[in-house]
Amino acid sequence: MAVASLVLGIISTIWGVILPSKIIGAIIGIVGIVLGAVVKKNDPSNGMATAGLVLSVIGTVLCLIISVACAAACGACGALF
Amino acid sequence: MEERMHLYIEFLGREIPTYSVMILLGGITANLLALYFVKRDHLNLYDMIILEAYIVLGGALGAKGLFLWVNRDRIDWSRFFEPEYFDLLMKAGLVFYGGLLGGLFMVFLCKIIHHIEVERYVRTLCFSIPWVHAFGRVGCFMAGCCYGIPYSGPGAVVFPEDCYAPAGISLFPIQLLEAGCLMLLALFLLYLSIRGKYTYTLEVYLVLYAVLRFFLEELRYDSDRGYMGPFSTSQWISIILLILSAYLFWKQKRVQIETKNI
Repeated sequence: MAVASLVLGIISTIWGVILPSKIIGAIIGIVGIVLGAVVKKNDPSNGMATAGLVLSVIGTVLCLIISVACAAACGACGALF
Repeated sequence: MEERMHLYIEFLGREIPTYSVMILLGGITANLLALYFVKRDHLNLYDMIILEAYIVLGGALGAKGLFLWVNRDRIDWSRFFEPEYFDLLMKAGLVFYGGLLGGLFMVFLCKIIHHIEVERYVRTLCFSIPWVHAFGRVGCFMAGCCYGIPYSGPGAVVFPEDCYAPAGISLFPIQLLEAGCLMLLALFLLYLSIRGKYTYTLEVYLVLYAVLRFFLEELRYDSDRGYMGPFSTSQWISIILLILSAYLFWKQKRVQIETKNI
């Protein structure tokens, strides 16, 4: 699970920087956070889980901060409707 | 002086939506406060992180889901899986109540999957919901979205051209009013938690926010309110939350009585 958390953290971080549809990157990052935290709860000294948790948090924040926007949304609303 | 709403903040050559920055600030400060309670009450930090991850996921999906449902007649569903159209849909708005309901559902799911004592965390850290929400509403004001009704009394605001609010019209500063009310609510809940009186914090939050939202909805003038009969979608959800709060209060009262009798 620590490896999975690290992989998901890397993916969500890259997704937050490069790829579109960032809500998908955010979901990947959140899953990475949960996996990393579950491992850390049972093994606080697990370094890989720490790295996975940190990267997943960074990736999730990157994805959410760029995609979740009430007013930036409004520009998108105009384009949609 | 040139007036310009702060729709975006430039950071390292990239435009970041102001709303997102405010939400992030609210989230960081709320988590710092939460860490104080984790330490003081000997809660498990990783349980809090897991629960928070579930809530953020439920909140994002719920807020987006309710937005899509409210706008279901205006969306071209045949294009849903086109990457560009999907991207626009994902950026095109959120509804707070959807996020709240999604978050509450994920709390329940987290309890089942991870066997975490979620009630203790939710009740102790309940202040963080209106806290982050208040920051978000300030973000709304800075960007000009979720604007109020036409109004020319004290505190009226006139938004310029480059934002979502109609330009040049004097409007009620509903975003700031709601941000102020939410922060007062957050501080009250924070006070209850500091005093260790968190037994009914969730019910207090749901009742007070439902009443606040029901009446403030009348002062909102932005489109896409999603009306069903006499009330908007959010007003109907407020009514449902009041009923839910009454049930939760009754249930919690019974738990307290049974605990005392043991």
